[in-house]
Parts: sequence; structure tokens; C-alpha cells
Amino acid sequence: MDADLLSDTFVELADTMVADFDVIDFLHLLTDRSVILLSASAAGVMLADPRGELRVAASSNEAAGLLDLFQIQNDEGPCLDCYRTGQPVTATDLSGSGQRWPQFAAAATQYGFRTVEALPMRLRNQVIGALNLFRGTAGPFDPPTLRLGQALADVATIGLLQERSVRRGDVLAEQLQGALNSRVTIEQAKGKLAERLGIDMDEAFTVLREHARNSNQKLTDVARNFVTGASLDFPPAPRPPAARA
Amino acid sequence: MADRRLDLWGELAAHAARRRAPVSLADVGAVAAGSAGLDGAWVAAARDGEPAFVMCATSPVCEQLAELQVTVGEGPCHDVLVQAAPVLAADLGDEEFGRRWPAFTPEARHLGAGAVFAFPLVVGAIRAGVLGAYRRSAGSLADRQLGDLLILADTATILLLDSLRANVTAADGGGAGLDGQPPDLALHRAEIDQATGMLTVQLGVDVAEAFARLRAYAYAVDRRLADVARDIVARRLRLHPDPAPDEL
Repeated sequence: MDADLLSDTFVELADTMVADFDVIDFLHLLTDRSVILLSASAAGVMLADPRGELRVAASSNEAAGLLDLFQIQNDEGPCLDCYRTGQPVTATDLSGSGQRWPQFAAAATQYGFRTVEALPMRLRNQVIGALNLFRGTAGPFDPPTLRLGQALADVATIGLLQERSVRRGDVLAEQLQGALNSRVTIEQAKGKLAERLGIDMDEAFTVLREHARNSNQKLTDVARNFVTGASLDFPPAPRPPAARA
Repeated sequence: MADRRLDLWGELAAHAARRRAPVSLADVGAVAAGSAGLDGAWVAAARDGEPAFVMCATSPVCEQLAELQVTVGEGPCHDVLVQAAPVLAADLGDEEFGRRWPAFTPEARHLGAGAVFAFPLVVGAIRAGVLGAYRRSAGSLADRQLGDLLILADTATILLLDSLRANVTAADGGGAGLDGQPPDLALHRAEIDQATGMLTVQLGVDVAEAFARLRAYAYAVDRRLADVARDIVARRLRLHPDPAPDEL
């Protein structure tokens, strides 16, 4: 356990009162640090949409398979149960028989995951979504790891809600909808970049994100400017075929 | 979970049937106002990121509220297009809104609006327009009302994108109409958005046109949008700038 990274993460997740706060960047911080600090293979955040669905807001890994695993959970899966009950839900040994969520278990196994934990993002009676942790080995996450995971989810939830509590309650709904649309813009940008550079979606996300970091811009802004063609200096020219061989 | 979407689609279809016409933006406005206990609704199309054309309005006051924002160049509908997120001004008497829209707010209150709610008609980077609504009394929307309005905004987005492109689709020999089905933007998969981005490069078109071409293709070959998108993302299918007869 990297104690410095742990304390830095709590500070960063609590610090949402900054002027250029971006919900998507913030939730990516949560998923990335969850992978490192909790020894997970992958992590993702699903947020509740008032239309009546759970939608992917951020994922530590942008491979299409993982996004599918979130999508399936609108029908069945630990994330849906966690959101409905507001309680943590564990799925261990997903490759075994007699699965509680057969469709989800089959897909998770196909993508190499054996264990999934869903932790609620909850403040008092309000559940805004869930943090999903995935691992390639069978057997539950140990209790100290889960307590830490829940603490990360809690501080992120408080961070999200406190940023709004200083203003109108309606601002939460406004910003979560904005975040979900940002997610759509990012997917469009991934597609455009993947096609232009001949790379896969995960690589395209990495390029977008590196560019956002290096140029000190929000990921959402980089994605939008790229999709609409407003940004002319990005992305880099396609790599010559020889370099990709 | 998706039942509410079907219920609302049924209301839209019933409303349109009484007019003996296909579902249009006017039906969405009427159902939006009715479903959420509001006093009226309107749809404005965007040009250069601003709500520039009022496409329909359920009452004269709505028309005035929509046009007021075009005239003064500020208001919830402007902010919606900047943020691509709803603006829920539940109490125009709140001084926050007086500061935010100094020209719009007093005029809107003078017209009798206590609350104005505006929803983006957007798909990622595509900014088609705004669904606006008002209530004479102030007060936040209930969660259920908010969900209904978001679902109706999804429908309005597709209708508006199609109407803005009506001439183009007619020239192509067929549109990607709603086909008697509720458009399902919220439940869509990431592949649809990724495929849209890929098509901007394959077809050399902007993102709104790429999305329209993706939908038109799926409609023409009678396949589900998500399945076509998945094939494009997996690079099993490419679309071409000059549509071949078997493609469109």
C-alpha cells in the first residue's frame, strides 16, 4: 500500500470546490486510484440517470468489453442490485455454476474477470450510483480492502454532493446530466481518433487523456474540440505504417 | 425500467394520431407540458450554438418566452447549449437567476413565468437545440417529472435532427424516421457514439451528419442501430462517402 498515494487520493477526492471542476475527470481519478490502491484489475463508476437507467460515467479501462459489462447491468448484475439496495454486493467465482446473474457472469468470465464488487455511492438516503471493482482471480476482496474502497466511494460522493450543496439542489441533476453527455462526446472523440490513427478505442482514450493532461485542459473540452474540428493542432498525424508494425 | 419510455411514446403516438399526423415536435411539446404539470413548452433549434429558431410552442406565452431569449441573447436556453446540460430555474424570484440573466429574468416574470426548465437536445458534441418549458408557479420538478422530460428531450432530439436534415434525407431517397418506435438515446451503447466518431473520418462529414448517416444506414438495411455500430467499431463494416445503391 502506497500511503502517500492513499492520502493524496483522499485529499484530491475531497477537493471539488475548484473553479474548473469536471465530473468526468473526477470520476476517472476515483476509478484509476481504486485500481492501484485496492489491487483491482479494473474499476468503473455507474451513475443513476433520472430516465431510469444506470449509465457508465468513468472506467479505468476503456476496452469495449468492459463497457459492455456495465451496460449489461441495466438488466442484471451486482451494480444494479447495489444501486437498488444501497448496500455493497459481492460476486465471487463468476465462472462457477448456479450464478445469480447468469448473463452478467458469462460476460464477465469471457472478459477474464472472476470477482466483482459493487460499492454504493450513497449519502444518507440518496444513492447516486455505484463503484464497481473487477478482479481476475476468484475469491472476495478482503475486508480491509473493501472498507478502503467504500471510504473512497464515500469521500467521492460527498465531494460530488458538497460541490452542489452550496448552491441549489437542482444543480446535482444538471451536472450529472452534463457529465453523462460528456461521456457521449468522449466516445465520439475516441471513435474519430481511432479511425484517424488506426488504433483501438482504449488506445484512443489514452491519447485523448494524455493530450488533456499535457495541455492542462479538461478531457471533456479536448474531446469536444476534437469532434467538432475546433481544435486544429490535435491529434498528431497518423503514424507511418512501418512504425505500427 | 424502460417502461416509462414506452408509456411516453404511447402518449406521443396518441397525441399525433388525434392530429392524423406522424409524431412531431409539436406533440413532444404538448406531452412535455402535460406530463410534468407545466403550463407550456417549446422547442428551439440551434444555430452557431444559440437557440435561433422557435420550431413549435404550445401557447403564445411560450412563444414569447422562447423569442425573448433569442432577442436578449441570454437565458436558460442559451446556457443549456453552452453546458449541454439541463438548466432548472425552479424559482425565477431567486436572486441567483436575476444576476445570471438580468435582461431575461424580469421580462420572463412579467410574462407570468415562475419557473423555467430547459433541456439540451444534444448527442455528445451534436448540439441540435433546446426543449424549454415553464410553470406559472415556482418549485422544483419531482424526480419522475425530470425523468419524463429527459426522455421526451431524447425524442425531440431525433425529430429535430431529422427535420433539420429533411431535404438531405429526401435527396438520399429515404430518411431514418422514427419507424413507429421510441428513439432510445439513453440506453444506447458506447459503440453507437464510437461508430459516429469513426464515420466523421470515413465519410468526411461533421458529427451530426455522421450520426444521421449511421441511422439512415441501419434503417435502410433493416438492422438494429447498435448492431450496425458494433460492426463499424469492429471494423467489419465501412461506409463510403458516395453511397452505393446497395448501401442507402
